[in-house]
Amino acid sequence: MSGIRSLSQLIFLMVFALSISCLWIPAQGVAAQADEAGLTQDGKVLNPGTDLWRAVRQRDGMPPMADTPTKGMDSNILINTYGEDWRQFRMDQLIPKAGMLIGGVLALIIVFHLIKGGLEIEGGRSGKYLLRFREFDRVLHWTVALIFIFLALTGLILLGGRSLLIPLIGKEAFSVIASASKEGHNLFGPLFIVGVIALFVRFISKNFLGKGDLGWILKAGGMFGGKHPTAGFFNMGEKIWFWMIIIVGLIVSATGLVLEFSFLGGDRELMELAMALHGIGATLLIVGAFGHIYMGVAGMKGSLESMTTGYVDLNWARQHHDQWAVQCEQEGKVLDKKPGVPAEVKAESAPGNPVTTR
Amino acid sequence: MANMKFYCDSERCIECNGCVTACKNENEVPWGVNRRRVVTIKDGEPGERSLSVACMHCTDAPCAAVCPVDCFYTTDDGVVLHDKDICIGCGYCFYACPFGAPQFPQTGAFGSRGKMDKCTFCNGGPEEDNSAAEYTKYGANRLAEGKLPLCAEMCATKALLAGDADVVSDVYRQRVVTRGMSTLDWGVQFKKGSLSGPGGLEGKVTK
Repeated sequence: MSGIRSLSQLIFLMVFALSISCLWIPAQGVAAQADEAGLTQDGKVLNPGTDLWRAVRQRDGMPPMADTPTKGMDSNILINTYGEDWRQFRMDQLIPKAGMLIGGVLALIIVFHLIKGGLEIEGGRSGKYLLRFREFDRVLHWTVALIFIFLALTGLILLGGRSLLIPLIGKEAFSVIASASKEGHNLFGPLFIVGVIALFVRFISKNFLGKGDLGWILKAGGMFGGKHPTAGFFNMGEKIWFWMIIIVGLIVSATGLVLEFSFLGGDRELMELAMALHGIGATLLIVGAFGHIYMGVAGMKGSLESMTTGYVDLNWARQHHDQWAVQCEQEGKVLDKKPGVPAEVKAESAPGNPVTTR
Repeated sequence: MANMKFYCDSERCIECNGCVTACKNENEVPWGVNRRRVVTIKDGEPGERSLSVACMHCTDAPCAAVCPVDCFYTTDDGVVLHDKDICIGCGYCFYACPFGAPQFPQTGAFGSRGKMDKCTFCNGGPEEDNSAAEYTKYGANRLAEGKLPLCAEMCATKALLAGDADVVSDVYRQRVVTRGMSTLDWGVQFKKGSLSGPGGLEGKVTK
């Protein structure tokens, strides 16, 4: 009896266990079904319309999940989620801030020049010369410089022309200028890349960190009085400008290529990012160029001739590039006069002035 | 004056692309350009929906805001149009547009962007209404003839609505009231079995 009794108990237990598990399994099944049907945990039915609009808007990190028979750039994307961000960056950040920065730096330079004036050569001109830039260097410099100025002007016309030029000359005339600017910018942009690479190859050896460069930075190049800090062939300011041209210049070049060759398949997000970087980089280069042009032309007397004739005065070199001047003196490279200045000879033999040179 | 808008009813669009064809035919759209396109979400899955999309003639149009030559203008009817004589084909409107409406024929040097082309709400451009010059550059000007855009007029299921915003929203509101909540989840409802959603957009499970 006890055996039968224990057997019936066992059967009861098994049935009980089975029924529990049977209850458990359908419960899980219902939960799975509920997930698929769009139910929340508390049993509410979600509006499937929200799923549709979430997919349309690509919210919650949803990837684009749409198809279209229409061929075209991003044609299967219903909403361009970054368009408004890009608009706000361009209209509320880039244009006003670039304008303020460029105008501000220009004003600062003018004020600085009015207060301090150009820096005279210490000890006057010595009448002795050093060859600073060979003809190749000068041609390279002015080629890149002219391309850069052209690109900067055309770029600024496209960036700020709507607010600055349209009120002055009207939409029709500005459209002609803007169209020419766009075509010219696209035409000369790739040449700028060649120039930047050539500058890099030619001048990299002189632009590594050297003795006294950190001191030059700490004294701001001796701008605010005190003894002029020591410097080699290029001082730290010139080295920073060199590396800025290389790094920022290559960023601007790469993003420019993305924007120019739009038909190669860059999508809108890439274009928006490229345009933002291009604008920031170009603004930095323009501001840097202001400083560079001021230093070369008016900030320090005797500098410009290094890029026109190629020769600088020995005293200028001692003042601004003492390490280089000492090195040249040791190597006996100091010249008593500028060798063969063809411009002066030509002036004598010009028509109407029958002096011949033999 | 009217405030012209498009609305595409995702419950009605059957992805026939009739609107795309009507637009191309009516406006002689340049090769490689589609002013209107039909995009299908969840193609082949439960909950599939299609939407016909073109320029939505925004009240605060991003394209007009970023245009470097200011070639966009909004008509008295609320239609956003542009002047192709001023457009320089820079592509900024395409970056800014939420709907991908601006299109560019590859007519520039090396296949770069030509002058922008987009939906005009069948309202032509700045040239004289229904002149040959206007038709060549911008296509038809049906609004000047008192007609609505052909894409919406030819829509077989009347999914694509075009017209004054008040009228369009009245039509759509009437549809929502009439068909109730159930059609919002056509295509997924069969999976719910006995679960039914009583009234309102969010229903409690009755069981």
